[in-house]
Amino acid sequence: METIIKVQNLSKSYKADKVLDIEALDIPKGQSFGLVGNNGAGKTTFFSLLLDLIQPTTGHIENNGIIVSENEDWKPYTSSFIDESFLIGYLTAEEYFYFIGDLRNTSKAEVDELLAEFADFFHGEILNQKKYLRDLSKGNQKKAGIVAALIGNPEVVILDEPFANLDPTTQIRLKKIIKDLSAQKNVTVLVSSHDLMHVTEVCERVVVLDKGQVVKDIYTSEATLKELELYFER
Amino acid sequence: MILGALYFGGLAILAGIGVFFIFKKAIPDQDPFTLINNYMIYWVMGDLALRYFMQQLPVMNIKPMLLLPIKRQSVIQFLLLKTSFSFFNILPLLFFIPLTIVLMVQGYNPLMAVLWFVSILAISFSINFLNFILNKNNTAFYFVIALLASFIGLQYFNIFDITPYTGVFFNSFYEVGFTALLPIALVIFLFKMNYKLLRKNFYVDGAVQAKKEKFKNYNLEFLNRFGTLATFLKNDVKMITRNARPKQVLLMSFLFLFYGLIFFTQDTYKNMPVFLAFAAIFVSGGFLITFGQLVPSWDSEYYKLMMSQNVSYKKYLESKWLLMVIGCAVSFVLSTPYIYFGWDIYAMIAAGASFNIGLNSFITLYGGALNRVPIELNQKAKAFSNTQGFNPTQLLISLPKILGPMIIFYVPYKLINFNAGIIALALSGVLGIVFKSYFLKIIENLYQKNKYKTISAFSEKK
Repeated sequence: METIIKVQNLSKSYKADKVLDIEALDIPKGQSFGLVGNNGAGKTTFFSLLLDLIQPTTGHIENNGIIVSENEDWKPYTSSFIDESFLIGYLTAEEYFYFIGDLRNTSKAEVDELLAEFADFFHGEILNQKKYLRDLSKGNQKKAGIVAALIGNPEVVILDEPFANLDPTTQIRLKKIIKDLSAQKNVTVLVSSHDLMHVTEVCERVVVLDKGQVVKDIYTSEATLKELELYFER
Repeated sequence: MILGALYFGGLAILAGIGVFFIFKKAIPDQDPFTLINNYMIYWVMGDLALRYFMQQLPVMNIKPMLLLPIKRQSVIQFLLLKTSFSFFNILPLLFFIPLTIVLMVQGYNPLMAVLWFVSILAISFSINFLNFILNKNNTAFYFVIALLASFIGLQYFNIFDITPYTGVFFNSFYEVGFTALLPIALVIFLFKMNYKLLRKNFYVDGAVQAKKEKFKNYNLEFLNRFGTLATFLKNDVKMITRNARPKQVLLMSFLFLFYGLIFFTQDTYKNMPVFLAFAAIFVSGGFLITFGQLVPSWDSEYYKLMMSQNVSYKKYLESKWLLMVIGCAVSFVLSTPYIYFGWDIYAMIAAGASFNIGLNSFITLYGGALNRVPIELNQKAKAFSNTQGFNPTQLLISLPKILGPMIIFYVPYKLINFNAGIIALALSGVLGIVFKSYFLKIIENLYQKNKYKTISAFSEKK
């Protein structure tokens, strides 16, 4: 299978403190890829490097053949939701979606079409609220952010802890959305999570980070959850 | 921040020492102290207006307080007393203490002078507490502003002078003494009222929490004529109208319109047209400068989104530039009444606007890119927080903004004549527009170069 994300000799240090060190990691196109690890393991650092929000100390990441820290051409087909700083607090959800749509050359009608697909996921709490995003609950903000990351047919979608703060119903719906993205639309989805059950259920492949290093790289099977639980029990 | 406080604090002390002698010299045949008391009404109203504009409400996160075993009463009292240490309460102290000492030295009755001081202090604190009661009320604010403006106007045009009447009141603290009970009673009353108001609303969903704003929508379709820039323009219009901080900037830029009055009304400057050039820049450039110097800080809350989304720096910058130009054009149209001061002045303002649009806009954007101060959009600026811009780089970058137009005007003015100066200033702006894409490219490169620094500065929590 064709590789879309290619990591080479990647490391990130803050002074003497090495927070991420990945020698090589290849993610094939269309894979749903899960990243787990305790706090400070380097998950968000990895995603930030992937989005060129911080500068790698050594090495680089290629996104579809483009080195992300040298060229910006990966932006049109990559989208992400990392945290609330990806939301524009003074917009309503609709305005926010249309704004992202504008940035990604997606017409209002196309955005509306996409939003209609997520009516279930929104559970009537996002659209037509006459409320700014900053006034929505954390869970609802997250819903808006995740859906915004799907606007404009991205080929790579990066979601940092998408399950946190969501209610059980929404978690189940989100799992289905992520599975469909990778299975039906051949979208490469990268998620991180603290919930081993969700990750093993959703992702074809789970990578465990510890102190910035890849310590496990598993293609999920029946036994994966047990294996992960054993690992984290230490 | 500290620098700004020190500066204004020092200024207040100097003014406190000097004001008595200034009045004595200006109007020798009247008692300076009486004159000071006469003008006190302007201080009261001006202070009220300034506090409305600048002073923060004592909004705090009360949730942890509610859960801890502390009496609500003490929390509220703490909250209210905390406001007493606001810079706006210290500033009058710095002014009135030296003044009171000067009064004593000048042979006024020391005991009565102290009584007067206490009364003034009580009034100052009354303003403090009144401000919190009024703060959510725009009508009251505009009423005070209108009243203040009309008093000044009436006095200026010699129609009616309110100051001797109100002066009697302020004078009575010194002359009569027991009238001092009035302001003291007032401050106690206002404190109690604040207390009651807070007590009633002291729940997690009550008034102490920041208020949620009602959703406002406007039809911004007309901006679509700007094509691809419309996306950003529409967003910026929403940003400005829906957040507290940019609204403050908007009001500030409106006040800049009146900056010219200081210079154009005085004959001294008639013979020094270089200062007229200086003033003309600020008349039309208020918005351009105050908004522009905080680009890209305006987008700091969601800067990571902007940096990872499909955003081109060029379009982003161009849309900000366009917004600044529109602001400048609106200010210029609003400045039409300056024709009253003569066509020369108006031509100067027009030339200044041209300089602003063509050159100042790019200089300001360049400076903004170096600024990197995160902004909390929906928080009013704390008093003097904008002095964070007080660093060498910012100072250096503001030099061409101020000296540039003066030099561009002055050289041809000295060598040829007044009109040549104006034409040179106007042409400098045209030059800027001709080289627009070149200038934008320079700023864009600066953005690229500082990308990681800016992201990390903006994600720092204050």
